Amino acid sequence: MSEIESKINEILMEQDDSVNYEEEKHLIDDRILDSFAIISLISDLEEEFDVRINAVEMVPENFNSIKAMAAMIQRLQG
Amino acid sequence: MGYNTLPYLMLFLPLSLIVYQVSGRKFRKYVLLIFSWIYFFLCSRELILYLLLTSAGVWLAGLAMDRAGNRKHLKTFLVVVSAGGLFGILLYLKYTNFFINTVNVAMAGKSGWTAIPFRHMLIPIGISFYTLEAVGYLLEVYWGRLEADRSFGRVALFLGFFPQTMEGPIARYQDTALQLTAGNPVTEQQVFDGVTRILWGMFKKIVIADRLSVIVTELYHNHSAYDGVMIPVAAVSYALQLYMEFSGVMDIVIGSAGMFGVQLPENFRQPFFSQSASEFWRRWHISLGIWLKTYVFYPVTTSDLTMKWNRFARKKFGKYITKIGTSFLALTPVWLFNGLWHGASWNYIFYGIYYLVLLMLEVVLEPAKKAFYKHTGFQKDGRFWTCFRILRTWLIIFTGELFFRAEGFRAGLSMFRSGFHNFGIQRLWDGTLLKMGLDKADWVAILGGIAVVFVADLLKEKRIEVKAALAKRSLPVRWAAFYALIFAVLIFGAYGPGYRQVDLIYAGF
Repeated sequence: MSEIESKINEILMEQDDSVNYEEEKHLIDDRILDSFAIISLISDLEEEFDVRINAVEMVPENFNSIKAMAAMIQRLQG
Repeated sequence: MGYNTLPYLMLFLPLSLIVYQVSGRKFRKYVLLIFSWIYFFLCSRELILYLLLTSAGVWLAGLAMDRAGNRKHLKTFLVVVSAGGLFGILLYLKYTNFFINTVNVAMAGKSGWTAIPFRHMLIPIGISFYTLEAVGYLLEVYWGRLEADRSFGRVALFLGFFPQTMEGPIARYQDTALQLTAGNPVTEQQVFDGVTRILWGMFKKIVIADRLSVIVTELYHNHSAYDGVMIPVAAVSYALQLYMEFSGVMDIVIGSAGMFGVQLPENFRQPFFSQSASEFWRRWHISLGIWLKTYVFYPVTTSDLTMKWNRFARKKFGKYITKIGTSFLALTPVWLFNGLWHGASWNYIFYGIYYLVLLMLEVVLEPAKKAFYKHTGFQKDGRFWTCFRILRTWLIIFTGELFFRAEGFRAGLSMFRSGFHNFGIQRLWDGTLLKMGLDKADWVAILGGIAVVFVADLLKEKRIEVKAALAKRSLPVRWAAFYALIFAVLIFGAYGPGYRQVDLIYAGF
């Protein structure tokens, strides 16, 4: 797991530690993360990685797994 | 020509299917478009001009945004003008009289003030639905998630596809547009599946919803004559009528589209099994919920204003208060929009605010809820607490629908209050209910019908698909089930003397 991925895992575990996020590939599609969880997640990610997440990024593909989130963060960090 | 009427089911739909099928593959999309425009014309006559102009405007605006390339300001200007224009038309047609009335009420009694006369507005069918689809398309192109479509026919068909015109579901361009123009031939299986789904929808609509409509109309129209137990009866009856009717029409719509090989998004997912208000809205009128989440909730959540609030509040108040503030910022426009979208009336605005308050309570009480289960050791997913949460959600749904259906906000409030006077539970069995236009046989049909739908929903909730289970059975069993559904609709349907055809509720929004 990369550094970014472990940090994302930490953030998610802080929200709800009953989920094995590393294994999950459909966090949005399976409704493990709902829109309320996303609200906190966005601000956590923006603060932790100093990125700006815009509305255009708000698609399930970017949030379905830790890997997908890490890829989005890396892309936004340029 | 509603989807539940004989002209649609026995003439328009079969004719369109036949012409579609006998046409060459590349002409089928034109057949669908022409039938869609004919359908719209038959329903709204010359108001089809609104649909045609919207289709042309949206198509051109999409292409212009594509041409603007990296010129961000120009793209923003184009999306604001085009989406703003669409909302402007909707606002003008649906809300002018509401504003006139509000101004008249506010100014009443002032010297020299003469009331502004109401305007006679002609509103094209489905404008609330296709406007949202159009704005969704424009925003997707603006964000660069979608390439503007060069084909005018496809954009026009996406906005005007006849099974969806009247009540949605509100589709996303990327989900349906290509299917609409694929021109695949109609298969036997598609027709069989479509007819079965339509019959299931008709069962919900004319066996249950149209009967419930009789007492709902009486209870809400003469609401001052009723109190006590009759108010919960009104609330439950309307919630069930609306579910049976709207989800039934969605079955007809999705079944019709499916025959042309077009898979439309589902609009309901067993909403009465929801365990909270927020879950209810993920299962009820799903396509509206997704639209609001994608094009209102997320843009607000990720806006500069929200980001500034987050930075400021996190340092000052911590994560919990920040989340409450952010939720309020993002949910307020969502629920005001939801309320107003349904119509220009204070009870719809109240309905939106009602759910805003409930969803905010969910956010505020989240830590307390977690602490409760942690400290008491109760199993959150245990049978008792699950049932408790489902019943609590029913109470929320029924109360909301009481205000939603009431003939004005004051009427809703008065009905709600009178529910606490003179409860008189004996009215449920002393014949009072039988004096409202429905006899014992009607009540048996209603309750039996609800039981059948409940079992079907329960099976779906347990991930048992009745259709798939039946497909595994032998041919005689499958045909027996098919005929049972036909006869149930024919024998128990509410039509004939004493009944009038009930208009589609959501077609009025």
